[in-house]
Amino acid sequence: MASELLLRTDGLSLRYPGGTLALDELTVDVPRGSVGLVGANGAGKTTLLRLALGQLRPTAGTIEVVGRPVAEDPVGVRAHIGFMPEHDCLPPDQTAADVVATLGELAGLPPRAARQRASEVLDLVGLDEARFRPIGGFSTGMRQRTKLAQAIVADPEVVLLDEPTAGLDPIGREEMLALVGRLAGFGISALVATHLLDDVQRVCDQVVMIDGGKLRHTGATQALLHRTGAVRVQVDDGAARLADLLGVAGVDVTVVDDATLDVRVDGDEGRVLDLVRDGADDLGLALHALTTRRGSLDELFLDG
Amino acid sequence: MSVSLPRAGAVYDRGYRPYEGERGGRGASRAALVRLSVRRALGLRRSWKQKVLPWSLLAIAAIPAVVNVGIKYVTRNTPASDFELITFRDYVGVSTTLLLFVAITAPDMMCPDRRNRVLPLIFARPLTGNDYVLAKVGALTAILFGFSFLPQVVLFVGQMLVVEEGALDFVTENAEVLWQVPAAVALFSLYLASLALAISATTARRVVGGVALLATVFVSGTVATLLVRGGGEPQSFFESGNLWGLISVIDIPLRMSDLVFLGHVDPESLVGGAAGAGIGVVLVYVATVTGSLGYLVYRYRRVE
Repeated sequence: MASELLLRTDGLSLRYPGGTLALDELTVDVPRGSVGLVGANGAGKTTLLRLALGQLRPTAGTIEVVGRPVAEDPVGVRAHIGFMPEHDCLPPDQTAADVVATLGELAGLPPRAARQRASEVLDLVGLDEARFRPIGGFSTGMRQRTKLAQAIVADPEVVLLDEPTAGLDPIGREEMLALVGRLAGFGISALVATHLLDDVQRVCDQVVMIDGGKLRHTGATQALLHRTGAVRVQVDDGAARLADLLGVAGVDVTVVDDATLDVRVDGDEGRVLDLVRDGADDLGLALHALTTRRGSLDELFLDG
Repeated sequence: MSVSLPRAGAVYDRGYRPYEGERGGRGASRAALVRLSVRRALGLRRSWKQKVLPWSLLAIAAIPAVVNVGIKYVTRNTPASDFELITFRDYVGVSTTLLLFVAITAPDMMCPDRRNRVLPLIFARPLTGNDYVLAKVGALTAILFGFSFLPQVVLFVGQMLVVEEGALDFVTENAEVLWQVPAAVALFSLYLASLALAISATTARRVVGGVALLATVFVSGTVATLLVRGGGEPQSFFESGNLWGLISVIDIPLRMSDLVFLGHVDPESLVGGAAGAGIGVVLVYVATVTGSLGYLVYRYRRVE
């Protein structure tokens, strides 16, 4: 049942018994690869992950994970999914090797294969030396890497990572992002739920942005970044006149001061730069500088 | 003749290797959960300290059987050869020495998963709350059955080998025991496992779970004894004080054992000697087991 889609939802809604609407008619098709699921705290990210795992039943709508309708076999679909929760969830009195092997067995691997796989994936995440030590003595970074190892021990088609860099120092964060970035190369799609947009910008090729349970933006990361890029233009006094001219051409412009303006780049950057050049020429303004400023997902999120 | 030797010290980056071996389905995951629960309870693959208690208690539980067989051997050609230190029915009562084992093991099987928040990892595998409950109850029941049944086997086989009349005659004379012992031991094991796990599921702290079980057993037994013994000679089950004997938690499986071996409740027991005692015991037994299992299913119906 191979599917090109990692996740497909159609009118997916979930209202908790207390009345909180966590997801509101979410309809999205997400291709395989590294996908960032971004949104503020309480946006509905974890709820969507739990719906994908079949641990919650939607109030309305449907959800498919790697082509498998979750409602038809909510338990069976988990055989194809690895999950890394946000919170601490590892028994401190057991070794990393034992925990990862145990969870491999629970995913259906034979005991011997589970131990072998545990050894391999712990090696992969950089815990080869520490795998026979009790987890209670691990740093936060080592715990996070153990959580990632247990998520991939059964070689799933997709892993759901809930805030994988939460609580990590800058070095630990770099290491975790590097590991997450390698997953696609292993043939494992990753859905990374996070509120840290910079993480997504660095390792994910697709973005699903939700807010208040509703879909805000979705698409390729690069395409979304282009939507928020800008060019800073420095001319002689007369930035306002150039802004008016560009505005007539349909370009979104913000005047910073008499000699500076920011021109929003929405898609075709070359066309915008041509318009700036021609406009300055038409008005007889000397063009001192054109500085391309790359956008960020934060801006996209804040712009709404 | 020159010999080319393989180069030593080569370093290979094994990278990530997809798993292409055997995968079990949901059944394999369930079996793994039972296996892991048994392993944990018996201290297998854990430090020697974790092994001391279960195996010491098994040895202690077997002592009466060994002593009884020894006496039989020594007195086999004397008038005292009919002396029995302990009967097969009494031996089910010896299994109550396993109460300490259960008070430690049952919380150890349940509480750490909740306390360390491991449940979301377990239920991200192809397992449900019902699978979890059945695995835990099945594992503890199997261990208790084994620990209660093995000494009975020692008693039976030992006597069979040392009795004067010969092994075949002994087996013929005690043929009923061959179904009575496993039936009584199975009823005892299921009851104690269900009750102990249900009490353990009320808390995330092992010590609280263990103390709660012991307190339930001792307090209920003491209260029942005071109420029944203060009620005078029994006339009918419900009109006399015998009804209160049903609240003694540890007495119920022993009276079920009476029903299996004798066909009626032991008249010397708290609930014995009055009409209707057997029905009362069966009803309380069924209510306790189904109530305990029902509570466990309710407790693990959703993942936290």
